[in-house]
Amino acid sequence: MSTFVQATTVAEAVGAMSGGARPVAGGTDLVVGARQGKAPLPESIVAIDRLDPLRGIELSGGRLRLGALVTHAEIVAHPGVLEGFTALADASAIVGSHATRVHGTIGGNVMNASPAMETGGPLLCFDASATLESVAGSRQLAVAELLAGPGETTARADELLTAIEVPALPGAGSCYARLEYRRQMEIAVVGATAVIVLDGGLVTDARIAITALAPTIRRVAEAEEALRGTDGGRAAAEAAAEAAAAASAPISDVRASADYRRAMAAVIARRAIEAAVARARGENVPVPASPALHGAV
Amino acid sequence: MATVEEPRAAEALFIRPDGKEKVTGLGRYTADLNLTGQAHAKLRYADHAHARITRVDVSKARALPGVLAVLTHEDVPDVKYGGMVQDRRLFAKDKVLWEGDVIAGVAALTAELAEQAVSLIDVEYERLEPVVDFAAAEGAPLVHEDWESDSGDDTMGRDGNRIGYSTIVKGDADAAMAEADVVVKGRYTTDCSQGVPIEPRAVIAEWHGDRVTVWSSTQVPYAARAGVATVLEIPESSVRIVVPLLGGGFGAKCDFHFEGHVAALARAARRPVKLVFSRREEFVAVDHRREGMVIELETGAKADGTIVAHRGRLVLDKGAYCGEGGFFAQMAAMHACGPYRMENIFVEASLNYSNTQPSSSIRAPTAPQTCWALEQQIDELAHALGLDPVELRRRTLIEEGAEGPTRQVFEKLGMKETLERAVEMIGYGRELPEDEAIGVACGWWPCFGAPSGAYVQLHSDGTGTIITGAQENGTGAVMAFPILVAEQLGMSPGDFSLLYQDTDAAPWDMGSCGSQTTFNSGRAAIAAAVEVREQLLDAAAAKLEVDREDVELVDGEARVKGAPETSVTIVDLVGEGGPFHGKGSGDVPEAPECDAEGCVGRLGMESFLAPQLITQAAHVKVDRETGVVRVLKVAAAHDSGVIVNPMGANGQVTGGVVMGIGQALTEGTQIDAEGRQRNPYLLDYKLTTAADAPEIEIAWVETPTANAGPKGSKGIGEPPCVATSGAIANAIRNVIGTPVRQLPMTPERVWTATREGNQ
Repeated sequence: MSTFVQATTVAEAVGAMSGGARPVAGGTDLVVGARQGKAPLPESIVAIDRLDPLRGIELSGGRLRLGALVTHAEIVAHPGVLEGFTALADASAIVGSHATRVHGTIGGNVMNASPAMETGGPLLCFDASATLESVAGSRQLAVAELLAGPGETTARADELLTAIEVPALPGAGSCYARLEYRRQMEIAVVGATAVIVLDGGLVTDARIAITALAPTIRRVAEAEEALRGTDGGRAAAEAAAEAAAAASAPISDVRASADYRRAMAAVIARRAIEAAVARARGENVPVPASPALHGAV
Repeated sequence: MATVEEPRAAEALFIRPDGKEKVTGLGRYTADLNLTGQAHAKLRYADHAHARITRVDVSKARALPGVLAVLTHEDVPDVKYGGMVQDRRLFAKDKVLWEGDVIAGVAALTAELAEQAVSLIDVEYERLEPVVDFAAAEGAPLVHEDWESDSGDDTMGRDGNRIGYSTIVKGDADAAMAEADVVVKGRYTTDCSQGVPIEPRAVIAEWHGDRVTVWSSTQVPYAARAGVATVLEIPESSVRIVVPLLGGGFGAKCDFHFEGHVAALARAARRPVKLVFSRREEFVAVDHRREGMVIELETGAKADGTIVAHRGRLVLDKGAYCGEGGFFAQMAAMHACGPYRMENIFVEASLNYSNTQPSSSIRAPTAPQTCWALEQQIDELAHALGLDPVELRRRTLIEEGAEGPTRQVFEKLGMKETLERAVEMIGYGRELPEDEAIGVACGWWPCFGAPSGAYVQLHSDGTGTIITGAQENGTGAVMAFPILVAEQLGMSPGDFSLLYQDTDAAPWDMGSCGSQTTFNSGRAAIAAAVEVREQLLDAAAAKLEVDREDVELVDGEARVKGAPETSVTIVDLVGEGGPFHGKGSGDVPEAPECDAEGCVGRLGMESFLAPQLITQAAHVKVDRETGVVRVLKVAAAHDSGVIVNPMGANGQVTGGVVMGIGQALTEGTQIDAEGRQRNPYLLDYKLTTAADAPEIEIAWVETPTANAGPKGSKGIGEPPCVATSGAIANAIRNVIGTPVRQLPMTPERVWTATREGNQ
């Protein structure tokens, strides 16, 4: 017997989850996956889409708080995100289609834990953390520790993601870029995030992550190291991008061969770094960056 | 309530009658229909691409509460069916031949129960080696072990795994090749691809005594009727096919598909039964895809560009069953020659069985892939000759009086004019950024003469109804009939309603296939209107007391020529009583003469009736580092004869170009070593989205064509996707300096070609 609960409070939602219910917000992964035969709809579902505490984007005290129900469309439309967390806006702007971005939430995106998810790289590079609630209480966990593998997180089944918090990095220029075969309804074949802080023309902080190139999205310390202390120019970007490609563990599948993915890792990482450096210098690179970097007009 | 305004564009003669309901969501498709007491069907598909069935046990499925019927081959007549070769049964009997082969069908109270019952059917197999590499099918295990006992067309050249073999032979290609100044060679391979109608198919069947009504999302209701009658061994007159709104077909809904399974289930369940496909089934279970090919071409020319010799060897993937695609070898061979003057030709094409999804007509079957290969070779020939590719085409394309591959002498046609219009629209030869280029491709496609029939009747309020057997699959082709009929009667297209999509209402028609609706069914509608015209003229002459020869029908009136004040309105005329109704078929155009002596596997494609001619030019931008190609603009110039409905014709080109871009760049079905599709879903079978669609500029070279359709028209449905991939291929080559010889030209393939070209 399948059950459906429309939660009106967070307590009600986590209560249902403690009884085995799975949460649904936008439904863009759950419903599409069930229709595709990937996984049947859960026997017990709790709808969390009317929980006001899970809504809204707040930017104060050097922290960005994204309620779990914040949609990609809301992220892209937020001036503070565009200004200080540009890579996240790049990512949310190219998730799925217009319809996906209006219905799909940041919470669902993170908890779906796809190694190809667009927002994961920016969240890792900005050291974002997740707030998980259950009947037992609340805890904070770095997103880097939350993502465990394809479709897997370290959250317990009874824990509800309620918010994502992202500390600001003043002066940072950032970019998320992906290889895309078409302009809409696309999924990353290769993706890369770069967050760059410049001081006096030199890179003082660099954070690089690669997407769809390993079982989870991962930061690449060697690439970050290759950038620090440089001018962030072409040579440094190439060296860092090569390090990112070397750290990838790509697979061959229906979307691309491992060889092509590895080669593209270097190209896409370099482009993300160059765009992030340009933004750190105050130059204008439109959001989303990917179309502009991939032969669009 | 909002109203739809009259169209403003001068080209818009009228609004499609089905447009408003489709745009507003009021339209009802087959899956929207529900009948009282209906049960739901699911099909049990093969678990392997090639295996002998050793045991089928349906007892657990039959025992499941809520299951009303479970059918296997034991429960229906042992009948083999198919187009040119009858090689398939409704339910697999001895072997399964591809992953979508149907072993059993279930009808149950709910779709979920039917699904559960399907999974309870036990099937045991002896696995056999699947034939996946269709080009190596000769010598491989036989797909159809009893192929010799399958009835079929004797001219096809069947032999084991080869279901068809055709040649085009003209002069002595070997001798002429040896004397050519320049020879170019190429080997090209293409993945199979899909039609992907946005509406997955649906079928509902309901019996009334011995008669069955089937609502089906089919492009060809009369073929569906014949199929049901054949497999159930009942008279055709006992089968009625009704087609609700059809949400796209692209050829994938041609032929008889699942109407027989659902009708059999409905009879066994004693209830109406409904089958609705999932998107996955629309990929895996449908016996209609565009065929994969291996194409080897060699062309020799004199220094001035004269093509003296052309050789080709093509192998086409037929997949598991014949369906209606038995003619593909000859069609591909003709496209391997193209609309060019070639002095000596030897092209051979083999159509091979394999253990994969059957190939059948998808919009211009065999043409886009073969054109893509040939047009790349024509460009390579131009480069080898030191000629501009457009200039080489100017010198070699067919024109009035030219001789085709089988010495068909062409009447007036606008092939070269399409070339000039396309290069003009695209701005050929202008300076472009170094990562952009223009490519040009030419192609052709024949018209198919076929019988058709229509009725036209006028009502006492002065409106009329056109009753036609023609079907439409989203193209709006039948919507042009009111234009043709109104013109005969001095009335306006908006005066006419259409009754179609019902095999009990109208005469036989080939259906929405072969770009034939205006061409054949339009002719029938005109013939029916001419009968009504005679009746109106008789009535007007009597009413006005004038000589019949002096009466004309203009602007809703019958009036005396030269004395328009002596008139009677058609409304008044009809209101006084009739009868005002007519029927018509018109004369089917005859196939043009040719000399196909020496060609084998002749199936009627050796001459091209009223050829539809195409030049498309593509302006692309290539990201050399990634291989990603963006199409910025396509200029499409077509000779489809006189254009009857400009808005509809432009819509066909726009849609065809977008489909062509998908075929060129992203759309390919990948098949693993076991014969299974690897990407039977829309995330990884990548259609072109609206966001990817380029600017498309269209020009019509309106050549009034004798021995063709109404008013000198030709077909238009299929040609728009024929030349697009060739034009894009040549543009890509002009950026990266090397050809991409695999279709689709995915980013990885373009990237690989770029790297190999640089080495």
